[in-house]
Amino acid sequence: MVHLYHVPSWFLGYDIILHIVYCLITLLVSIAAFRVFKISQQRSLRLFATSFSFISAAYFFDALLNFLVVSKLNESIGIMTKIFTVTILNTVGSYLHIIFFTLGLATLTYMTFKSKNLKAYSLTLILCFVAVFFASNLFFSYHLLSSIFLAYIIIHYLSVFIRKKKYNALLMLVAFAFLLISNVHFVFSALNNEANYIISHAIELTAYLLILVNLILVRKNEQKKK
Amino acid sequence: MNKKRNRLQIIHDILKAISNRNGRIKPTHILYKSNLSHQMMEEYLGELIGKGFVIENKAASGKTYSLSPKGFEYLNKYKLIINFTDSFGLGELES
Repeated sequence: MVHLYHVPSWFLGYDIILHIVYCLITLLVSIAAFRVFKISQQRSLRLFATSFSFISAAYFFDALLNFLVVSKLNESIGIMTKIFTVTILNTVGSYLHIIFFTLGLATLTYMTFKSKNLKAYSLTLILCFVAVFFASNLFFSYHLLSSIFLAYIIIHYLSVFIRKKKYNALLMLVAFAFLLISNVHFVFSALNNEANYIISHAIELTAYLLILVNLILVRKNEQKKK
Repeated sequence: MNKKRNRLQIIHDILKAISNRNGRIKPTHILYKSNLSHQMMEEYLGELIGKGFVIENKAASGKTYSLSPKGFEYLNKYKLIINFTDSFGLGELES
């Protein structure tokens, strides 16, 4: 069963725009990481770039399917046809988002373990998908799983920050902490009221803007060194 | 006291050693310049050859190593690589 969020009707178009923004930011990070990977051939860079590509794809499908849902709602077709089409589009969009976002976070977490064991990686993915898709509440178990992955990623960035004391590491640490908070908040928005959904999006937007700021700082540093 | 070098720095040191010898060097010189054990050096060289950074030249006088264009690019853009990996918390993952 796909559980719907309590989305305020006036926010329907805005959440599509926000998902496009998240999609573009994560795509930019992914492209930059692939560019550096091409030169250095380092495994961590390939995993980092791949995970951000997955996250970008998750937001792309979410935005696309949400757009189709909104356009169907505005069409003058029979009410039953409308409900049927919207339900299918919403279900497909939700599943695609969950699959790609889980792939992204699982790959990012796997990268932080420095492990080269592909069996462990594939087992993690299988267990994740089983846990999410066979759960009685898809959204609750998806957000819970994402929160666990985000917690492990935060531990990695916290240890990097403690060792290096660099502001870039702090930016990434805060960004992933915001993502974790927004993720937990989304659970309440699914269960509770519309205001929580907006707050979750505001926190999520802050997180991705921090990642974008980090990327801009990296680019500026590159140009300075040239 | 010197900090422990990470993987990216070791690769840089090996490539720099080859580059400083006009792009052609014997394994003993790499060993000396890169400050690695023989086994570690063999592992790194194997990886660098596999990734196309270094070319192995076999001659009657023994093996020598030279840099490929990819190896030169790595050296030229080393600061860019370090800048990106450090900024996104990936530097420590290459040990």
